[in-house]
Amino acid sequence: MIPLVYYLAGAIALYVIGMYCLASKRNMIRLVIGIEILMNAAHLTFIAFSAYRTAGYIDPLGHAIVIMSIVFAGCVTAVALTIVTYAYRHYGTLDVRKLRRLKG
Amino acid sequence: MRIDWVRVAGITIVVSAVLIFSMLVVRSEFPAFDHVEPVEIETTEFLWTYRLIDMIAQAFVLFVAAACCVAMLRVKEKKK
Amino acid sequence: MVGWVAYRKAYRKILGVYAALGLSVTAYFLYELYKEVAEKGIVLIVGQLPFNPPLGACLEIDMLSVFMAFLYTIAGLFAAVYSIKYMERDTGLTQYYTLLLGLIAGMTGVVFAGDFFTLFVFWELMCLTSYVLVAFRKQRWEPIEAGFKYLIMSAAGSATILLAMSFLYGMTGTVNFAGLAASLNNATPDGWLYVTLTLIIVGFGIKAAIVPFHTWLPDAHSAAPSPISAVLSGVMVQTGAYALIRILLLVFGSMQPMWQMPLAVFAVFTMFGGNIMALLQNDLKRLLAFSTIAQMGYIIFGLSMASLSGLTGSLFHIMNHAVMKGLLFLCAGSFVHQAKTRDLRKLRGIRKTMPLTSMFFAIGALAIAAIPPLNGFWSEWMIVTAGIEAEMIPFSALMLANMIFSVVYYIRVIRMIFVEKPTAVSKKATEAPASMLIPTFVLACLCIIIGIYPGPFIIIASRAAEAALNLLAYIGSML
Repeated sequence: MIPLVYYLAGAIALYVIGMYCLASKRNMIRLVIGIEILMNAAHLTFIAFSAYRTAGYIDPLGHAIVIMSIVFAGCVTAVALTIVTYAYRHYGTLDVRKLRRLKG
Repeated sequence: MRIDWVRVAGITIVVSAVLIFSMLVVRSEFPAFDHVEPVEIETTEFLWTYRLIDMIAQAFVLFVAAACCVAMLRVKEKKK
Repeated sequence: MVGWVAYRKAYRKILGVYAALGLSVTAYFLYELYKEVAEKGIVLIVGQLPFNPPLGACLEIDMLSVFMAFLYTIAGLFAAVYSIKYMERDTGLTQYYTLLLGLIAGMTGVVFAGDFFTLFVFWELMCLTSYVLVAFRKQRWEPIEAGFKYLIMSAAGSATILLAMSFLYGMTGTVNFAGLAASLNNATPDGWLYVTLTLIIVGFGIKAAIVPFHTWLPDAHSAAPSPISAVLSGVMVQTGAYALIRILLLVFGSMQPMWQMPLAVFAVFTMFGGNIMALLQNDLKRLLAFSTIAQMGYIIFGLSMASLSGLTGSLFHIMNHAVMKGLLFLCAGSFVHQAKTRDLRKLRGIRKTMPLTSMFFAIGALAIAAIPPLNGFWSEWMIVTAGIEAEMIPFSALMLANMIFSVVYYIRVIRMIFVEKPTAVSKKATEAPASMLIPTFVLACLCIIIGIYPGPFIIIASRAAEAALNLLAYIGSML
């Protein structure tokens, strides 16, 4: 098996990419995708750890957590997309930089 | 073609951050399972053998998420 | 104890059943209150099945949990009674009450969680319901914009929490709090623990309104419907503080010098940020939201001392803040409901036409500004004295300065409501209807009672603090 740290490096890379996506994308739907990427970073680390706990066996706790967490990420995405729908109706655009009416 | 310098700077920072973090991570040894208490294996087995419990919790959250979406997507009835 | 999982969702027609929905919510909460009162003082461990408590103890209830759950239930009860009249012109009320109950259930689940995974499940439940409750009035643009920004930031926070949880799982092989505490007891802080600590403070700090991550709060709290603002601001940000208390004291409990100083610095920034921005506001609910940020700064400061008196002060302030901020937001909601505006300049002199609500608002504002006979004074004073005891003197001095700042802007609000001449808008407002007055009245009475006779409440808070700090008892009873 390849060393554990490569999986962790991949997860950290996903996390940084997710944060970059949240910080710099204009399209609202891309922001929602960025949140998905962030959550997947954590999922990857869970699975990696549950595989490396004892040699030859996987620890089911990590997998159970990931199954639930994927569902929750999906729920958050669903709710986010309903809000994006209404934002599109109000503002006429998907550009998040146009949502600047609340200042201060 | 116009190059947006802010975007170039952003992407450069991100790529370099990813590379630097990856190298730091790969060099350092992660203290994986250094602190394991052997007695905790029971929780794990419990959750895996009684999958129904976390399924119930998951179904509950999913139901509430469905209620959220219905609440957001409701149609306003016009009452005269 | 699985009672909080069940809730009632009524598939009824809209006309004439608002009150029934509200009352069913109320009756359910009264039942909850009874159960909470019957169980106080006991450290309870609830296994998921009747046999074998050590196995899969996913829920764990001790004094701190019961304390916070009691607060949440009371806050939810008042918000539900208040909503009967406030939300009468909105559609989708069945979903509203469902989601409100779901929010309270989520928060209660967070405080009852015995392991990190259960906490995350209920954390997500709480966050999901709050996203939709903030954006509930989707016909106007403001809740949608505020809700979207809130959702993005809070979901990023949840993802950060999940990542921290995965690192803790990797280091110890368990996500049970007692197991984590036992495992990390003798750990020397190395790089990865610092990373995990940073992720936890960032992740929960986004929800608990610590200053660099607080930007969602003013928009979300002013755009949400008022009873939801009261619940969000009064108790939901406290849930973030509760999670920080639990995790920092249990998991990182043996490494206290690691997190005390950075947390105290964050707390001071939070206090300053909240108070200074509140001085500049003209919108009533936004001002209250910034004041929430400042109060959370006080609470986090009390936490950062990690001593019994500091933590007692923090928990007592959480209780006071739930009462006071709930009162203030409900009164502000009365003003908004009657006068249809949130602008302070237009709400001047509204005392003439809404005398009772203005009086309750003044009681709440004076209480938060830490005027002596009311309850805010006792809790903030406890935190300051605990800070002096713990030798964090410059931070305590800064906290005193912040208390003086908060007096300034609250006096400004009270002056605008009481003293000045009424404008045309406030002349048209009539007194709030009865079901909106009753919760505000009860909360105002609570402010006064807790202020004059804080003794028993301080004892309750200190027992909760002991339970939080008592690492060995927690581990011993779980393993």
